[in-house]
Amino acid sequence: MSRLVGGELIKLRTTRTALGFTAAVVVLTLAIVLLTILAGDPKTIADKRSALAVGSSISALLLVFGVVGAGAEYRHRTLAPALLVAPGRGRLLAARVIAYGLAGLIIGIVMTVVALAIGVPLLAGQSGPDLAAGDYLRACGGGLVAIVLSTMLGVGVGTLVGSQVPAVIGTMIWLFILEPLSGLIDHIVKYTVGQTATSLGGDTGGDVLSWGAAFLVMLAWAAVFLVAAALVDSRRDVA
Amino acid sequence: MTDRGTAPAIVATGLTKRYGDVTAVEDLSFEVRSGAVTGFLGPNGAGKTTTLRMVLGLARPTAGSSTILGRPFTELPEPAHSVGANLEICGMHPGRSGRDHLRALATFAGLPASRVEEVLDLVEMRDAADRRAGGYSTGMRQRLGLAATLLGDPEVLVLDEPANGLDPQGIRWLRDFLRGAASQGRTVLVSSHVLSEVEQTVDDVVVIHRGRLVKSGSIASLITSTGVRVRSPRAAELAAALERDGAEVRADGTLLVVQGRSTDQVGDLAFAIGVPVHELAVEAASLEEVFFHLTSDQEASAAA
Repeated sequence: MSRLVGGELIKLRTTRTALGFTAAVVVLTLAIVLLTILAGDPKTIADKRSALAVGSSISALLLVFGVVGAGAEYRHRTLAPALLVAPGRGRLLAARVIAYGLAGLIIGIVMTVVALAIGVPLLAGQSGPDLAAGDYLRACGGGLVAIVLSTMLGVGVGTLVGSQVPAVIGTMIWLFILEPLSGLIDHIVKYTVGQTATSLGGDTGGDVLSWGAAFLVMLAWAAVFLVAAALVDSRRDVA
Repeated sequence: MTDRGTAPAIVATGLTKRYGDVTAVEDLSFEVRSGAVTGFLGPNGAGKTTTLRMVLGLARPTAGSSTILGRPFTELPEPAHSVGANLEICGMHPGRSGRDHLRALATFAGLPASRVEEVLDLVEMRDAADRRAGGYSTGMRQRLGLAATLLGDPEVLVLDEPANGLDPQGIRWLRDFLRGAASQGRTVLVSSHVLSEVEQTVDDVVVIHRGRLVKSGSIASLITSTGVRVRSPRAAELAAALERDGAEVRADGTLLVVQGRSTDQVGDLAFAIGVPVHELAVEAASLEEVFFHLTSDQEASAAA
């Protein structure tokens, strides 16, 4: 299994995709932190915490990263050469999920470092109560968990669809149209991928899940899509 | 271990693949001899790649089964050391260099990075190995595909249309490559829709058409079935005599192509009836024609 994860990590390192997403994450993190603190003028603990909880928003981008990466296998027909030296669809998919989870973790750490490096000095100049260690942990740790699980979920979605462009478009429609629309139905929206990621970052405003519940719901999203992907992938002919 | 040299390296039994109403491969059975180079031939769309995908565990047969070195491909303990395969459906990420592509595959197979350099040398691709694959020519992709098959130094090579997109120098290089592989005792199964690309290299042939087996056996048996070429100024007389004798004759001016007779028999008969003969040879040059004949659209009722 370590061979397979190693090979998937080489694949991740040797295209510009991961690097491009990392750059986008850095830019977005800077933008979010600067805007929420400079324009939002946070005074309460909750406002200050959500200024640092960039992982909630960034996790949507990492979900797309997973979809793009898994979809590339079909688009560029790189599954066949891998399966010819290492047959076993389930093991290869598991290795890809682990490798992307690790990549998500690394990108998430970069994001956290950037958010803290900019956010902490800026927040120090704000009036109102200061954040405690636990607040940092929830904002940053929760964001990291959201990011890693989102990346893995993305690999599940990309593999399940088995075609890169439709998978990316479908993910966009799901995240930015269908999930917000689900707000029209009572008590549904807090279980969506987007809202779960927000809850994981420690947002406590409105009708949201607790941290533990959000973790379990996010885990369930990832697990359902990955199991479905593994079942479909094991039966699908490689073309 | 399998009985190398005695047991066939690849055995396909009743392989069938249907997509809805379309039958891509139907009840296909054949064997690939250990240590021989076998040409897997048929026109485009005959079902060659589909068959190879089934043999290599990439597509699930509707019916039938296959083994490589005595086991289904997916059950081989160290597949990269047993089989090296490059199919037309094997792609490369356009943004990844050839070397990195091979490094990932070598890692999957548990092979050291030094092996990547060795196979790059074998296919003479070291200079271009750091360029992004998106900029490679078809010939370079073919070479990198071949390099991937060699990573595990396997007993069996399965190559799908390796001559596609190669220029004449490339085809000559490929021929030398295949001969080299055969001289090292490897079993090679090489598919092609152009017989002339492989006819000088293969020992055996498996010919399929519309997903069905048309002919399998040694390349010599394909040649025997082509007949004897005889030229005579009194061709009509000779043709009549041959036909009286029960041979099948095709006439084209002074040239006759005789089926079911050896050159000795045709020469003896011509001598017996006193007809001069200006040329007498095995019709070896028309191998392509036989292949074309075997895979033409007229019902392949003479299926072997």
